[in-house]
Amino acid sequence: MSKRLAFALLLPLAMVGPSPASAEVRASAVIQRAIDGFIRPAYANLRDHAGSLTKAVRALCDAPSQSGLEAARAEFSATVEAWSSAEIIAFGPIKENNRLERMLYWPDRKGIGLKQVQAALAGKDSTASDPAQLAGKSVAMQGLGALEFVLYGDGGDALAGKDDPYRCGYGAAVAGNIETMAAEVDEAWRKPDGFAALWANPGPQNPLYRDGTEAVTELVGDFINELEMVRDVRLKGFLGGKPEGDKPRQAIYWRSQNTTNSLAGNLSGIDALFVASKLGDALPADAQWMAESIHIQLANGVATAKSVTGPIDKALADPVLRGKLDHFALITSSLTTLIGTRLTSEFGLTAGFSSLDGD
Amino acid sequence: MTAVRTPLLDRRDFLRAAGAGFMAAMTPRAWAKTLDADAVFATAFVKRDGSYGAAVLSEAGDVLHAIDLPDRGHDVTFDPVSKRSVVFARQPGTFAVVFDHTGRDKPLTIASVAGRHFFGHGVFSPDGALLYATENDFDNAAGVVGVYDARSGFKRIGEFPTYGMGPHELLLLGDGRTIAVANGGIETHPDYGRAELNIATMKPSYVLVDRITGDLIEKHELPSALHQLSIRHMDCDQAGTVWFGCQYRGPAADRPLLIGRAARGKDLQLLDMPQDVLAGFRNYIGSVAANPAAGTVAVTSPEGNSLAVIDAASGDVVATTALVEVCGLAPDGTGFIASTGAGEIVEDNGARRSEPDYVWDNHMLRIAEPA
Repeated sequence: MSKRLAFALLLPLAMVGPSPASAEVRASAVIQRAIDGFIRPAYANLRDHAGSLTKAVRALCDAPSQSGLEAARAEFSATVEAWSSAEIIAFGPIKENNRLERMLYWPDRKGIGLKQVQAALAGKDSTASDPAQLAGKSVAMQGLGALEFVLYGDGGDALAGKDDPYRCGYGAAVAGNIETMAAEVDEAWRKPDGFAALWANPGPQNPLYRDGTEAVTELVGDFINELEMVRDVRLKGFLGGKPEGDKPRQAIYWRSQNTTNSLAGNLSGIDALFVASKLGDALPADAQWMAESIHIQLANGVATAKSVTGPIDKALADPVLRGKLDHFALITSSLTTLIGTRLTSEFGLTAGFSSLDGD
Repeated sequence: MTAVRTPLLDRRDFLRAAGAGFMAAMTPRAWAKTLDADAVFATAFVKRDGSYGAAVLSEAGDVLHAIDLPDRGHDVTFDPVSKRSVVFARQPGTFAVVFDHTGRDKPLTIASVAGRHFFGHGVFSPDGALLYATENDFDNAAGVVGVYDARSGFKRIGEFPTYGMGPHELLLLGDGRTIAVANGGIETHPDYGRAELNIATMKPSYVLVDRITGDLIEKHELPSALHQLSIRHMDCDQAGTVWFGCQYRGPAADRPLLIGRAARGKDLQLLDMPQDVLAGFRNYIGSVAANPAAGTVAVTSPEGNSLAVIDAASGDVVATTALVEVCGLAPDGTGFIASTGAGEIVEDNGARRSEPDYVWDNHMLRIAEPA
């Protein structure tokens, strides 16, 4: 009980509430640090990379060459890395206009998205290579998954020559669409009276966050949900319980060999957000180890994912590298317990139990 | 996967409340009788140590009996004929456990068949012979209702479609033959845990299905602008109107109406609500329960920490209560009893009790007729 009382300073609970005014200020400070220290820089970085990517693809279309293709592919990987860090912010402007799904439609379990992209390429669909019209098409045709197929999928090598200008034009439209969305989200977070202001200023009149607890629950819930997403969707989508159950062709970004870069980027984003928010500072002295442990394990997860290099099918066939992916899964599980059970209990939140699970 | 009884533990809990002298005087048979008479509510729970189970509670919310579950449960359904309850695994769980109130019979675990998992809700036929459960035919992204023979060890004897994706709660309507299903519209696949795979294109629906033939009787969808409004939970009021509660998967800044009514042969009707009440739900209704005797319907939002009671005839909100992580709801007297993810049970008169070890899952079921 004493711990809970200590936390009431930060997170006002219905049952225990000292001065609500001071409590709101402190929840606000955590959120403001999260916004300024991670979220705004992460989207600015994404916007920069998406801009460079669009330029590189357009340059390739203007003057096809092997070096131009390599440059476009390098910018694609850099954009994937920037997105993997930023995509762990699964609320706010990215949730508007289906941007989250349009940026990255994945998993494509039945290959529906792939078929749509292939159909556009085969039919040289001029509406798909027009950025404005593309934005209104199937979400699977307009994001990173589609662009990866253009650059790395069957027929992608032809981009180094002049034989498939439609493919390049469609790729440029997809890149432009990604850049547009990144710019929109970046601007929305920067707006002084936008979503950031709502999140950082909880209060009774706030339509989204009526108190500090709701604002901080958004943050803590995001950590919990994104760790689950990385483990259950991204990793276990291709890593079986046993090697026989592995599905390398279901791995995200397998064509561009960015699978583990993406996993590393996800945990790196969670780590950066956690550290920037200084949420751990709100823990009492005897629980400070949790913040330290969360940071260390996130960094360990990033290093573990990065140590798995090369094509994902080869990594899965190599017992040492495959073992590292298992270890990565274990790290995310341990983090889920640490954040979803222990940290939330220190804060007197029951996050992750009945309200954050969509049932 | 087995369910293990823990009657001793719960007996202790009960006795702590009842007083030690009471305990010393009771024989096991008398104990079973007491449980039978006092069992009023059933609910799934999580214990603070991280283990899972389902419990039978007294009128006042005391734990009378509990069973362990291998993983997290969701809703409970009850057969008044055999006096057995079934707790379903939360999606994408693969078990349901049949148990009686007293622990006299060993719990029976029903495993989902290959290619299916449970969605957390089910209902018995009026004679208790058949159990119906919403399930996911996940490789085909199609909802089905699994049919189980309650008189033959709950063997699965068939299934019929829900004519939609991601079915959640189902209700047996007053004719005893029509089953209403809330198709949440969300595609999930166990290969990807609980991830929602079709948010951009989801299309929820409300359907009526003939439980004997499996035929579709009616299917209703929301206007296309509301295609991200997932229809999840339902109950039936005194007039036979089905009330449903939704969860919105679109942007948090949108404020769609979340409560609706379905009457046979009519389009779904969303209920206008005062903005402050609606805003208090944070786009998420976790449970819907009717109190036919009182002519009211209650809805809860664990996301918004709020409970609202609606007059079923007029559609007016007659009461709202702020309650941290409230979700479970069951009719109680002229009002409702509510349970929370913070471990509280709150009676209609405002009396609260908290079991320090238990955190209540999303649903509460009344298993005894109102006194």
